[in-house]
Amino acid sequence: MAEEFEPLIVAFCCNWCAYAGADLAGTSRFEYPPNIRIVRVMCTGRIDTTLVLESLRLGADGVLIAGCHPGDCHYQRGNYMMEKRFSYIRKALETIGIEPRRVRLEWISASEGGKFAALVREMTQQIKDLGPSPFRPANNPR
Amino acid sequence: MSEREFLARKTRAAIDAFRSQRLRWVTGRSQAKVEIDEKRYRQVVDSIMHDEVERHMLIGAIKEKGPLTVEELSQLTDLHPSTIVKHIIALRYNGVISEAGEKNKQYLYRLL
Repeated sequence: MAEEFEPLIVAFCCNWCAYAGADLAGTSRFEYPPNIRIVRVMCTGRIDTTLVLESLRLGADGVLIAGCHPGDCHYQRGNYMMEKRFSYIRKALETIGIEPRRVRLEWISASEGGKFAALVREMTQQIKDLGPSPFRPANNPR
Repeated sequence: MSEREFLARKTRAAIDAFRSQRLRWVTGRSQAKVEIDEKRYRQVVDSIMHDEVERHMLIGAIKEKGPLTVEELSQLTDLHPSTIVKHIIALRYNGVISEAGEKNKQYLYRLL
């Protein structure tokens, strides 16, 4: 029987909001799929476009960028910078020929543990529907 | 070349393009500081991004295989020869590539 495809999602979470939200999801015992690998960054504004593209090139099936709600950035403008950069990331993915829905930008505050868990569940399902990353070797469905 | 290899090559070109000064300069600008409307600004940035990805595909191919002709570049990158010539003019003007002899009556191009 063929194994069900289990996506690998890389999540870049800002230290002040989304990472704290993920932490809260854990301490509140909200269940979410183990398909996500969290990378803590100080702010979404420091996530370079190349980090996202490199993650996909190295085999991630999806990339989640999670930061503070607009207006709540610890560094004032970081999430606005990311929002602008995100439009370029999507455009670059279209140019390359990768489904832009593999990359998502979401706002999660430190108190939204439930939202984080729900988002991971939803995104995992979305990536399952999209199928494996085109970079994944055919003989390595993971 | 398999589809996966081609996609990986294109993604690597996009990563190099986003590391390049030209793309960093335009994507890092605040729109408020540019005296054109947002729609036009977007069009300019999109076209620069598109060109930079294609140019880095050409640079990547020459880096990997050594001096190449337009025809060989076209086979490796799947770009139309007229598009390649357009990029070669720009890359030559910017001092990135230059001619390196001839092959089958076509110029070979190498990285500087």
